[in-house]
Amino acid sequence: MSEILKRMSSAVIQGQRDDTRQMARDAIEGGCSAEEVLYQGLMPGMDHVSGEFKAGRMFVPEVMRSARAMLNAMEVIKPIMVKNGIRMAGKVVLGTVQGDLHDIGKNLVGMMCEGAGFEIHDLGADVAPGQFVEAVKAFQPDIVGMSALLTTTMRAMEGTVQALVEAGVRDRVKVMIGGAPVTQAFADRIGVDGYAPDAAAAADKAKHLIAASR
Amino acid sequence: MRVNRHNYEINATPRLQVLSEDQIEAIYYASLRVLYETGVRVYATEGVDVAHAGGAIVEETTARSSLVKIPPDMVDKARATVPSKVVVIGPDRRYRMELFKNQIYYGGGSDTPFTLDPYTGERRRSTYQDVKNFARIAQALPNYDFHMSLGITQDTAVGTYDRWQYLAMLEGTSKPINITAVDIEGVRDQLEMALIRVGGKDEWRKGPIFSLYIEPVSPLSHSREVVQKLLFCCDNDIPFVYTPCPLAGATAPATLAGLLVQALAESLFGIVLSQLRRPGAQIIIGGLMSNMDMLSTIYCYGSPEMALLSAAYTDITKWLRVPEYETAGCSDAKLFDEQAAMEAAINIATSGLIGGNMIHDVGYLDSGLTSCPDLMVASDEIIDMVKRILQGIEVTPDTMALDVIAEIGPGGHFMEHDHTFERFKTEIWRPKLIQRQNWENWQLAGGQRYGQRVHARVIEILESDTAPLLDEAMFKEMRRICELADARHKDEELDVKMFV
Ligand code: B12
Repeated sequence: MSEILKRMSSAVIQGQRDDTRQMARDAIEGGCSAEEVLYQGLMPGMDHVSGEFKAGRMFVPEVMRSARAMLNAMEVIKPIMVKNGIRMAGKVVLGTVQGDLHDIGKNLVGMMCEGAGFEIHDLGADVAPGQFVEAVKAFQPDIVGMSALLTTTMRAMEGTVQALVEAGVRDRVKVMIGGAPVTQAFADRIGVDGYAPDAAAAADKAKHLIAASR
Repeated sequence: MRVNRHNYEINATPRLQVLSEDQIEAIYYASLRVLYETGVRVYATEGVDVAHAGGAIVEETTARSSLVKIPPDMVDKARATVPSKVVVIGPDRRYRMELFKNQIYYGGGSDTPFTLDPYTGERRRSTYQDVKNFARIAQALPNYDFHMSLGITQDTAVGTYDRWQYLAMLEGTSKPINITAVDIEGVRDQLEMALIRVGGKDEWRKGPIFSLYIEPVSPLSHSREVVQKLLFCCDNDIPFVYTPCPLAGATAPATLAGLLVQALAESLFGIVLSQLRRPGAQIIIGGLMSNMDMLSTIYCYGSPEMALLSAAYTDITKWLRVPEYETAGCSDAKLFDEQAAMEAAINIATSGLIGGNMIHDVGYLDSGLTSCPDLMVASDEIIDMVKRILQGIEVTPDTMALDVIAEIGPGGHFMEHDHTFERFKTEIWRPKLIQRQNWENWQLAGGQRYGQRVHARVIEILESDTAPLLDEAMFKEMRRICELADARHKDEELDVKMFV
């Protein structure tokens, strides 16, 4: 049993995205629980990948592929986990704020968070405060992540926080922000819960925010 | 008479060529296929309508956008009217850019959230005063032909920063400016300011004093704001830069040829749309293309691929005969350090050798997030050196100096010869801040590193007294335009103290 989990870890590390679905099915059929597949198969692989990325030994396209390998396996085990009422790492609603079209950094953050086990609802770019509010109501996320690459659209971050407050949902979520002109000091100023300077740090921050709130 | 054939066969000017004509054509025809087969997303009905009326196929229309496919004959038609030369002239009419094949002009970049403080070296939010300082530095440096703001003003109202930023630049320089704008209302206000500065519409027509910077969104998207700006420029005789910023491996293929195909399709759409709106509309296509660093995830401004892509794109635009926007004088270093000097030198040299037209981003550090006065000053000298190399070596009987060599003969010296006296100043480049003293004299002179001398020059420029460029009435009139804009937008404002 641990053999297949080990193989699954290494499939994630190798980014064998076409194999992991079947491996997950085999593991479940072979008697593994969904939790075991996730926490002893997929996650150790992904943790290794993120360690290698931070150490400069793996690169974005490789990390993306590993994350995809993991997500493909997740498709198999997620329904089982949901049925058994097992808690996932957490849900994140993510978007680039209103007026801002820079989306590549946000996409990277989304992929890294997915790689860390989060479920992502990506609202795209140029997302109005109201759309964030709607998404919070609809998806019940743990975290709202906002990206802004422009000083002019940093205003929309504050506006979106306000919209969450007005809709009475601010307390239900942690808010995390990022993007090139954004700083920790700005995050403190507008009263959000977290800031991270890059995608790898964003995934770590998301984990911390969840750990702190549970 | 003996005719000297060498300058006919060999170019007097050294040059660089990245792409062969065959490669350029392969890329061009590939771009045409992208435009026709894949199409581009256009997020503004005005733009979709113009393209459709001109023969484009419009598909998959949603509430916000349409997929627009451009048949190749539309591109041919547009190429027949797109100008091969664009002229921008500063409020001081001596500062003139004639943007066409092989004419090189250098200038800054714009809108960086951070500036390295000239006095403390601290990286902090850019202010109105910084923007004015950068403009004064650009004014003082002979190798800056046009200007962009470098920092973005963050101590004025946020949503109308563009007007204030333009005012700050006009306070500091009378060279041509490439402006940025929040939206078309921002362009309109800045145009009004420019007309005050230049003295009316007729003067503007003789030589517009700014061009507008417009960026389509890679991959293959043209946002509402971008299309509106393009159409506004066409309607108002404003030259404009239409430059995508594709990022190899992220918003474009990782292969550089693939990136060029995509970038060209993005620019060609701008050419088509502008020429449909007004044949002869003045478009400059370009020029910020690079790779994503696959570890740090940054957009690289100092990579060899950045320089190489810009150069390749210049080859393409020369073949197309459309003025080009290019990138150099920039680095990913966090300070003005050895890396900054090295990266800037490499990309400045490449851009000069290839013959890019409007070469921007001089003074950028930190992946385009931080502006640095020291890098501007150092780049001025790098550009100067590159220009010397571009002068090449004139080969004539006179410059080959056979008679002089014969006269001096073996064992003599040339220091006293008339030929030396007459030629040394024009033939041999002289440095400004580069040090060539011997060890002892260098030590006596303070033993400073290059960076220290550069910095001293920055301070010297900032502290020198210069006559104001704007008279008081003019300044007030322009300032009023900024204030009126603030008043119109006061409800949307963020407290500027938020920028910490
Ligand atoms: C590429 C680019 C574009 C492309 C974007 C294409 C796309 N599909 O995304 C295009 C051409 C569309 C563009 C347009 C504009 N741009 Co632009 N652009 C850039 C550039 C060069 C690189 C951005 C990038 O892709 N970086 C790579 C990614 C991977 O990094 P990142 O986005 O920073 O994301 C990382 C972190 O920030 C963090 N992160 C990001 N989001 C989040 C979210 C969370 C929750 C967390 C925790 C972390 C996090 O993690 C990410 C991954 O590691 C930057 C310069 C720069 N260095 O940032 C300018 C820059 C951001 N742009 C700038 C400007 C001015 C503009 C324009 C206004 C230009 C104009 N006048 O028209 C327009 C605005 C359009 C609009 N309405 O949005 C300025 C911003 C100035 C300002 N006001 O603050 C910059 C700084 C360049 C400059 N100096 O002029 N741009």
